Amino acid sequence: MAPTAPTQSDQDALNARLEQANRQLIQSEKLAAIGQLAAGVAHEINNPVGYVYSNLQSLEGYLNDLFRLTEAVDSAKSLEDLRLIKQNIDYDYLRDDLKDLLAESREGIERVKTIISAMKDFSHIEEESFKLADLHRGIETTLNVVNNELKYKADVVREFGELPDVECIISQINQVIMNLLVNAAQAIEEFGRIVVRTRHSGDVVVIEVEDTGKGISQDHLHRIFEPFFTTKPVGKGTGLGLSLSFNIIEKHNGDITAVSTPDQGTCFRITLPIVQPQQADHDGR
Amino acid sequence: MIRIQLVDDEPNILSSLRRLLKPQDWQIDTFNNVEDALGSLLEHEYAVIVSDYQMPTADGVTYLQFAKQKQPNAIRLVLSAYGDRESMIKAINQAEVYRYLSKPWDDYELVAAIKSAVDLYQLHKENQQLREENDAQRALIENWPR
Repeated sequence: MAPTAPTQSDQDALNARLEQANRQLIQSEKLAAIGQLAAGVAHEINNPVGYVYSNLQSLEGYLNDLFRLTEAVDSAKSLEDLRLIKQNIDYDYLRDDLKDLLAESREGIERVKTIISAMKDFSHIEEESFKLADLHRGIETTLNVVNNELKYKADVVREFGELPDVECIISQINQVIMNLLVNAAQAIEEFGRIVVRTRHSGDVVVIEVEDTGKGISQDHLHRIFEPFFTTKPVGKGTGLGLSLSFNIIEKHNGDITAVSTPDQGTCFRITLPIVQPQQADHDGR
Repeated sequence: MIRIQLVDDEPNILSSLRRLLKPQDWQIDTFNNVEDALGSLLEHEYAVIVSDYQMPTADGVTYLQFAKQKQPNAIRLVLSAYGDRESMIKAINQAEVYRYLSKPWDDYELVAAIKSAVDLYQLHKENQQLREENDAQRALIENWPR
């Protein structure tokens, strides 16, 4: 029997499977990216935990000294004795340092809180639908998550314009931004600059991530969005980051382009419509 | 006086270490960047240098390698939030560190490690002095008119 042409329902089924495969790919790339980040995030958390923990032990010592003084109020024979104890425990230093100790420890805990909530925001798996979102907040979240990958490689400069809320799947946009930021940092050999720029123009918004890295050669530039294309050493990149970023932006009816000058740097530009066109697939697939 | 150098790009780490080491009778110098730390190697003699591993301009191992050239007698320690094998191997083989400590640290352990580094430094120093004395005395005896 001659093979029959695929029916509409066959085609729908195939399309559905393709979309599912695509969705799984995005998810696994996201998990891979988070895995790569985990070591960096651990470092980011170990620093504040390190000093807060140590400060708590110093605080214990300070409190013991202070209690020694307050308890001496009952037992001391004269005011002079009390003064002696006060001098003995270096009261002035203690009082001044106590403020710093508490302020620094609070700062450390705030830092951990920010990282945890950024990780949570970032990995929002449940949020897979188009919603109005504040892109600047998304960018800040992402910067917090990848801070450790960036701070030893570049100064991050924010040149933010005024942006309206944009209809998008923010977790996916964050993933794209993260990808661009990590790439930018990896492109920088010694220490450079990464500029994150945003602006609003007509019915689109533009996000740019520009680095002062080694740039992309013309031969490679037209292949960077191909799946599995990578110039990174084995184990450093999956070759999927930019290709998935491209898919994500395409799904948002936007554009992603790159301009690069070897040895000068690369600029990735994302253009997103503020409002998704009506016919677009609004269930987030 | 025993001088200790602490290098970390996070100022809050430096403050907490300063607090921790205050009861010891040491002069503590803290630096939040490698350049200033290097500069101070030219001015002061350190018994112990404790450096962070990951810092913006140079990593701790590179810094300690420099420090080793400038002040070979100073005992070197790494205090790092990055406990990976590669950085440890580099620290041991390249910077020849005495201890590799990780963040978050245990206060007791850290103080004990620095104390024992100070002891080692003093021992080396005493050894050197005794040898010099010994050499001087031997020279004196050999040159004694018979």
